[in-house]
Order: sequence, then C-alpha cells, then structure tokens
Amino acid sequence: MLERRYNILTGEWVIVSAFTQQRPTNPTAECPLCVGGAEFSEPYDLCSFDNRFPSLRIDAPEVISDNELYAKERAQGKCEVVVYTIEHESAMSLMPVHQIEKLIKMWADRYLELSTLPFVKYVFIFENRGAQVGATLPHPHGQLYAFPFIPKRIEAKLTAQARYFDEHGNCALCDVVKREIRNGERIVYENESFIALVPFYARWPYEVHVYPKRHVSSIVELNNEERHLLSKTLKVVTMKYDLLFQQAFPYMMMLFQAPVNDIRYWHAFHFHIEFNPVKRDKDKIKWMASVETGTWAFINPKIPEEAARELRAVEVLK
Amino acid sequence: MSTFFANINELNEFDVFKRAGYRIVEGGEILVRVERIHLGYLFRTFVKGVIQDVVLFEFQRPAEIFVNNWQSWGPARVVGKDFPFSFPIELRKKFGYSASIMPEVYFDNLISDYFMGSDKFLIGALSSRIGHPYLLIDPETVKVKLNLFGRHFADWTEVEKFVVLKGEIDWLLPYYADLVAKENGVELKAKNFVGWSSWYQYFLDFDYQKMMADLDKSKCLGYQVFQIDDGWERDIGDWEPNEKFPALTRIASDIRSYGYVPGIWLAPFSVSETSSISKNHSDWLVKDENGNPKVAYQNWNKNIYALDTTNPEAKEWLRTLFLNLKDAGFGYFKIDFLFAGAIQGKRHDNCTPVEAYIQGLKIIREAVGDSFVLGCGAPLWPSIGFVDGMRIGADTAPFWDPNGPDIGYPNAYYALRNVFTRWFMNGVLWWNDPDCLLLRCEDTQLNDSQRQLYAFTSLLLDNILVQSDNLSYKIDHDLWKRIMTIRSYGKRMVNLKGLMDGQYEITSAGVDGVHKLLVKDLKIPTFRIEFDEERVKLVKKIEKRSDGRTFNYYEEREKLE
Repeated sequence: MLERRYNILTGEWVIVSAFTQQRPTNPTAECPLCVGGAEFSEPYDLCSFDNRFPSLRIDAPEVISDNELYAKERAQGKCEVVVYTIEHESAMSLMPVHQIEKLIKMWADRYLELSTLPFVKYVFIFENRGAQVGATLPHPHGQLYAFPFIPKRIEAKLTAQARYFDEHGNCALCDVVKREIRNGERIVYENESFIALVPFYARWPYEVHVYPKRHVSSIVELNNEERHLLSKTLKVVTMKYDLLFQQAFPYMMMLFQAPVNDIRYWHAFHFHIEFNPVKRDKDKIKWMASVETGTWAFINPKIPEEAARELRAVEVLK
Repeated sequence: MSTFFANINELNEFDVFKRAGYRIVEGGEILVRVERIHLGYLFRTFVKGVIQDVVLFEFQRPAEIFVNNWQSWGPARVVGKDFPFSFPIELRKKFGYSASIMPEVYFDNLISDYFMGSDKFLIGALSSRIGHPYLLIDPETVKVKLNLFGRHFADWTEVEKFVVLKGEIDWLLPYYADLVAKENGVELKAKNFVGWSSWYQYFLDFDYQKMMADLDKSKCLGYQVFQIDDGWERDIGDWEPNEKFPALTRIASDIRSYGYVPGIWLAPFSVSETSSISKNHSDWLVKDENGNPKVAYQNWNKNIYALDTTNPEAKEWLRTLFLNLKDAGFGYFKIDFLFAGAIQGKRHDNCTPVEAYIQGLKIIREAVGDSFVLGCGAPLWPSIGFVDGMRIGADTAPFWDPNGPDIGYPNAYYALRNVFTRWFMNGVLWWNDPDCLLLRCEDTQLNDSQRQLYAFTSLLLDNILVQSDNLSYKIDHDLWKRIMTIRSYGKRMVNLKGLMDGQYEITSAGVDGVHKLLVKDLKIPTFRIEFDEERVKLVKKIEKRSDGRTFNYYEEREKLE
C-alpha cells in the first residue's frame, strides 16, 4: 500500500508506505553506495537517484477517497538518495570544500528540476548522520523528499514568517540576522555571506542554524560566490561538531527553502539550514520523547549562548 | 455600505471593513464580504438579480500608477497624472474590440483591466470567469468596477474576487500572480520551449518552399517546435491550406521528420466577411442589436466578425476543426485574435462575453488535449488555466521606435516594454511569450544592442524563445549559442525590480548561478548584463535503470575533459 491519509484531528498528512517496511535496518557488509555495491557498478562523482524504498512515487497508485472523515490522496512525489561522494569513509566534515560546492549545485538542480512537476509542493533536502538518528548507511549521503503537500512544520514556519512580515513589513530572518551580527554571542562562525549560530530559540542542545545574510528564499538564488561560502560554512560547522567531543557527531541536517510551484512566500521566507544534533554531552542523547513528540514543545537542557561559546571555541582549519 | 477610501496608501483595517455590506443596485442586489489575508484584504462579492456595470468601491488616485490592458497586445505601463489618454479617432473602427472589451468606455477614458498598482500597493481581481473586472481612473479617483453586462443571476452567486495588497509593488506583483493562479486552479504542466516561427520574416509572403528551406537550415539550432504562422490558410475562418501549401498532414509530417513538434497558427474566433462561414452560417456569428453580424475589428483589409462560441453548431465546428488539426499531426497551436470571442453582442446563450469566450477556449483545450496552446491577442484573465503560453505584448518588429503610438501596434520597443512589465505572470499563470527573437543581421533595422537586449531579457526572464528569421540570412549565431547554453541549465527563478521608474533590474537564478540584467534606459537602449561565472561546472547525465528508477549523475566538466 502507498497512499497518504489526512488526520482530521491535527490537519496533517500521514504517508502510509508498505514499501519502506522492506528497507534494511542493518545493512550487510557491502555498502550499496560504493562501486560494486547494489546501486553502482561504475565509478561516479555525485549522484541523486530514486530511492529503492520510496514513500512517495511519481506513479503512485490512484486512490479513491469517498469518506469525508477519512480523506486520502495519492502519495505522488519523489524520494531520492543524494550521494555526496564516492569516498565511503568521508563525511561533510572531511570532504573538500570543492566537493561540498558540487553538492550544493546538485541540490540546486534537484530543487529546480523537481519544481517542474506541477503536483510537487515542497522539496525537502536533508541528511541523517549517525545511527542515533536512524541513518542506515555510513557512506556520505543525504536524501530528498518532493512532497505533494506542505508538511506541518513547514506550514508553521510559513505562517509565522508571513505573520511577522504583516506586522513589521520585513522578513523575520533578515531581522534576526541583523540582530545576531550586532549581538555576536550566539554566532559560531561567520563569513561574508553567511552566519552559523546557535539560535535564541534552539530546541536541541547543540542546534546550529545557517542563515544567508542576504534575503533569498532558496539555494538556487545564491550566486556562485555565495555557494562557495556556504560550502565553507557547512564544512566548518560539521568539523566543529566532530571536534567538539572528538567523535563523529550525529545530526539531522535540514534545508528549509520556500515551497515550489508557489511564489507567495518569496518575500517573507528566508532560506536556512538547521542542524539538529541529538547529543547533549559526549555520551548522552537528547531523545525526542513524549513531550517533544506529543506537544511539539521542546525542553532544551543547554543554554544556547553556552553551546555557542563551546562551538565557537572549537578551532578548525578554515 | 461606504465605497470610498480616502488614501489607499494609508489603509487601516476600519477603512477597509467599512466597504463590506449589502446594497441595492439598479436591477439587483450586491453583498460584499471583506477578509484579512497576508499582505492585505480579500473582497468577496455576491450578486443577485440583473447586474450591469457596478462600482464596488473607489479610492483617491496616486499620481504614478501601473495600468494594464485587457489583452495580449495592449500596453502594461506606468502613467502619471498628466498622461493624456485618448485613443486615436481614426483608428477606433479598425481596432474595435481589440483595444478593449468595452471600447465605448475605453476610447475616451483611462482604464486598467484586471489590476493596477502604485509604488506601495496593488489592487486586482483574482479571476475573470463571469464578469470583466477593471478600474476606471480619472485624475482624482479610481473606481474599482465589475462589469457583469446585464447578466441575470436567479440566486445569490459569488462573482470575481478582488484583493487590496500593501507593500513594494515589485514583490507584490508575483505574490498577486500566485493568488490569481491558485484561484483559477492553475497547474502548469507544459514545459517552456525553444522554437521557430515564420511570421516576422515572411509575414503573409510565406509558402511551402520557404518552410522546407528553413527546416533544412535549422538543424543543430536546438528548436523543439517549428511553427507556421498566418499565410497558410484560404481565409480567416476557412482553415484549409491555400494554393501555396500541400495538405496539412504533409506539412506536419515534414516538420516532424526534422524532430520538431509541428506548430500551426490560426484565429479560431475570427470570421472574415469573405469566408465561407460568413456566407453560409451567418447564424454562427455574434450579432448587433439589429441582428446583423457585428464587426469585431478590421484586418487583412476586411471586416472581421466574431464566432458565437455558444452556438451549438459553431461549437461543434470549432471542436472538429481542432480535432482535425491534431489528427493531421500538429502538437502546438498558436491561437490568435482571441479577443474576438469576447466581444459584446447577441449570442445563442444569454451569458456574458467572458463566459462565452471561456466556452470557446474549453472546447479547444479539450480537443487538443496535452498539446501546447499559445494564446495571442487574448483576454488575459479569462484565458488562465486554458493556455500553456501567452503573448504578453504587442507584435515585435524589425524596428525599434520609442516615439511610435503605444496602442498595441507592432514595434520591438513596446513589445519588449511589456516583457518587463508583465514579467510576473511567467511560470505562474502560463509561460510568457515575449514574441519572436529576430537575430538576423540583414533585412532588419534592429541594431546589435537592441537585438541582444531583446534576446537576453527573454532568456533571463525564462520566457518562451522563438526565433523568426530566414535562416539563409546572416544570423547572429554567437548570440543564439550563448542563449542556448544558458537555457540548457533549465528552469530559472526570476525577480524584477524597478517597474515604477522603468530602470529594470532582472535577477535570474539557475543552476549555473545568478545573472543580472540592468536597464538604464530602454528607449536607447542602454543596459548592462552581469554574468555570474561558474566556479564549478557540472555535467549531468541521466540514466534510466531497468527497474524504472532514475539516476542523476553529476560530474565536474574539467575532469571529463
């Protein structure tokens, strides 16, 4: 079965995907993303390909929805695996900046190409790194979902930022960027075009957000120099993470761009990247438990300004 | 219900909500509801009874305003208070309804169809499916109006919605376009394309030999569509090949043999006084008060009547016409002079001209299925959702004349002006057709600068690109090559600033980077293009696996070389 069902209690869509149940939780010794593995027989540089176990498909089965209480729709969309490099032992923190720059260009192309599918409403690019966040393969890769609807947290971000714009006549994140540059205490890293910071409103202990200084609603609108500077920013942030506890730091990295096939939010929505790491100390995990899952209210045990100070203090070669 | 805003730039919520309520008008009743939306307010109007041309509300006029004409060719421009609007008397009969759905109002008044803006606000209708929304402007006030042409509404019926939006006009326009798209349920399925058209080289002096000669010369130019324009038909209304062309199936198969989608031009709602339809089926034509066929406009040295798209026999003829063209092998339809389908007059059905027009467009859309439909000379808002592409300016021409009349006459200068001022419709309501690129270096008065500006503007705004040249001439191939290289990167995200002062700044973002075009003075023209040089050049290869999955490989170009 592959379909999406509407939750009338929360107003959110749930994807029911029996395919993903077949996904291996503990892969075999052979990495499917290495040459000679299940997916590649020839050497490659970067690749984005259709997930073998997709939750959304372009050719998703037709669905008959004849019940107002239990509405359902086709799970039409796309799930891709985004492979960063052929190097199995690498990671964003270990990759050359040049390779990350190529990755950013690939992300831009995927975003644009998927936006030509009229039923796609949101392109969500992300990376789960480490077993603690459910990554089943260590080979450096991320994923993307091209959703046929606006997911609930994205909707919350759009609504909040549109409301701020109505009330202040400015983009909320443009104002945040100005304030943080002036204040400085939460900034982890800064270059000409980006700031990386532990946000005032961090939900996770070592949460880092990357904000472009200039208002853009997607990665596509960054010019080539800015894409280079974003590559450096991502490299620095992930290196700092790995050096913080001298271990491969598990995180969820998520790109938040404006919806596609809908330009109503270009002026109000500011592209940004969130790193949500699950570690609250070297050997301690911050779990997404009942309060966080049930209410969406987070209790952050780490003062964001302190987390920023610690991360800022981690020296990396720039 | 109060109808007057003192100053729309200083709107507060109380001013706006006072416009809501119930009122009696001559022949019927109106109810207006006002809702708060992001960046402004939504006005919903419900009517009952026989409703004519009603004022919904009015406001004090700002000095500089952005006004829009109802159809493809008409001007979308910024005008000041001193703008002396009066349509040339000697041209009124010739232009007829081409100039306006309400020529009786338009010829002596400044009106803006569907929307208007100023530097800090925009007001516009979200649709035109029943009535014609417009703004009647005098030096002091602007009246927001909806013409329902005396239609009878037996029950309360919701008609066109309006929005009042506050902010910078440059980002209000794309926001507004998306509201319009959502209101009309637009899903842009067709892809933007590159092609060739016969019109701006050959005009009516076109024949099969010329078509074949240009097809032969067109290899490797990257076209996807090859379209024959006006000149192939026996008469306007008699859509059969004249003596200069073979059968339509032959034309289409010849074009297809070169790997192109065959395209054809026609004016399906226009019927010339000399055509067989006019002679044999006068009951299929829109009539005046006396029951005589109404002249929609004059062209081809003839009076042109309008097809009654509500007449059952005419509808069947229209359906068969397009089914036959599709069967003949055509996959691209440039349908022109569409405003003729929306003229006022007597029809078989008692409906508004807008509703009649939409009936006609629906028939065409259903007949051609997924084929690309390009609207031209088309009422803009009623066409939304029925066309894949839309001409958004006057005809271009092999000359540039900023001093010519700004009334929709062929002129590369005014054609390009509209490409800038209607940029926000592209990729949202349809693909904008900026009209053809004339890249020839002979048989033209356009200079290098004008040619380049036209081409790069169309490219960077991610518009349809159609060349119209005799390919045997000396062509600016370097320009075409540069354009095709940038186009090969695919879709672009575009923004434009400077609409009100005419110093346009286009930001065009794609996989290859963010290019900028800055126009200092369109009249001369003086402009600058800043190309964003790539730091990393990736080549993309797509592999389709036997299990149906797609693999997109990206590799650095230098390494491959």
